[in-house]
Amino acid sequence: MGFRRDIADAFLKTNEINPDFVEVAPENWINMGGYWGAQFKEVSHRFPVFLHGLSLSIGSPDELDLAFLRQVKNFIAEHDVRVYSEHLSFAKMDNAHLYDLLPIPFRDDSVKHVVARIKQVQDFLEMPIAIENVSYYTPVAAQMTESEFINQIVSQSGCNLLLDVNNVYVNAFNHHYDPYEFISGMPLDRVAYIHMAGHEQVSPTLIVDTHGEAIIDPVYDLFDYTVAKLNPVPVLLERDFNFPEIRMLHHEMNQLRSIVNKYWIKDVVPA
Amino acid sequence: MLYQPDTYKIEQDLSRFGRTGNDTFIPGATEEGLRQYRRLLRNNINNTMVQAFPISRQVLPDEEWNELIDLFFANHDAKTTQIWKLPAEFVTFVKEKDYATLWNKPWLNDLLYFEWIEIEVYTMPDIEAEPFTLQGDIRNGTIVVNPEYRLIPLRYPVHLYAVEEAKNHPGDYFMMVYRHPETREVLFADLSALDTFTFENIAHEQLSLSDIAAGLKLQFALSDQHPLLTNLIAFVQEMMAQKLFLGYAVERKEQF
Repeated sequence: MGFRRDIADAFLKTNEINPDFVEVAPENWINMGGYWGAQFKEVSHRFPVFLHGLSLSIGSPDELDLAFLRQVKNFIAEHDVRVYSEHLSFAKMDNAHLYDLLPIPFRDDSVKHVVARIKQVQDFLEMPIAIENVSYYTPVAAQMTESEFINQIVSQSGCNLLLDVNNVYVNAFNHHYDPYEFISGMPLDRVAYIHMAGHEQVSPTLIVDTHGEAIIDPVYDLFDYTVAKLNPVPVLLERDFNFPEIRMLHHEMNQLRSIVNKYWIKDVVPA
Repeated sequence: MLYQPDTYKIEQDLSRFGRTGNDTFIPGATEEGLRQYRRLLRNNINNTMVQAFPISRQVLPDEEWNELIDLFFANHDAKTTQIWKLPAEFVTFVKEKDYATLWNKPWLNDLLYFEWIEIEVYTMPDIEAEPFTLQGDIRNGTIVVNPEYRLIPLRYPVHLYAVEEAKNHPGDYFMMVYRHPETREVLFADLSALDTFTFENIAHEQLSLSDIAAGLKLQFALSDQHPLLTNLIAFVQEMMAQKLFLGYAVERKEQF
């Protein structure tokens, strides 16, 4: 599960949430002191930590922020982080951070640009990173399909894929494609990690990836289809706000586990 | 940078639309999708500021607050990778653009700064204090300061009065904002000019209270430093109880 302040006590005091690993955004914790700094130290002591970044902006034309990347590298070493993932999107333009994930045009020059940057990041960090397929709400001047774009990025950069199954469902709805076909077309041998989350339908024609709702059955079905095609990898339940009672989160985790256990003999334990 | 100019421009146009909401044309883009990005981006900025500045949000009329958010997002190039630190850039932006004068709200800069400093102190990286003991000579000993603090000067006493009242009391105010070493809570102390002078001399010059009193006696040609020293002792005792001062420096033994 993602470690969030709203449910921190369930991880650290009541032990109601006892996941195989926790995921955090490094931007939320780097250089954090005081009460929350101490809480995070305890979390990283008790659970394996995965990082899921927000501000690297791999698809931005701006230069990579190497000072920030150095902070991430130090954070990875300090907390013995197992996985660092980022989004296949851009979040910075004209030297200004935007604090959200904007879609990269699916184009040949974008592939070249993003591949070069992923390689630069991996060289700098001295570890492979995982790149997440993001949800997007409008196409932008695409010259290839999303599936082609992701495949080229992964194969040319040597990065891993963080497959967000909910994002596949959201994009399939928003952009009118078959999510099962899309999953089958992904480089499944490079999937290192899965995200599952809820979403919100904001209009008859648009779903937004919110991480603030329960996972719906069609996304569980798509997850089932996906897991059947994969070797065991870690699976994250993403929930960022609008938290329900802890037993409801347990219910979601148990549903994920029951699907995983149909195909994978052992529970997934991070390497 | 391996982007072709048109791909670069597409990303730039999308970014500018997200920051301003001004009309744009992006090949293949849907109006609903673009509006969604504008909503998501602006909400992120607005929610971050509402969370950081609850009092400012409450006292500013909706139209002024929204104008500030829109102007900030459209015109300020956000530097921090950590959105929770963005309010510090907002404080600087509002001050540099001088909205306090433009909107006849002279307390605005102080209020925003005051609200931000609480967050800064609450989240600042841990700083290890000098070794100390609780027993010592309050007159002549070296007093150890809790290093996790910010001392801020204010022109308007937004920490004492509602803003409309604070407007009537301009002056020189000194606000000590610090973190309790055990509970990690943020604490506040309204310091007088003499308290501030004393604190600075203890914190930065490591002067004893006797040294500080002697210096003041000389500077102001006082006939007797004892009443002054009594005041300084009372201040330090009070602030020691409140954990702004932690104790007395441990004497370092000479190494042979």
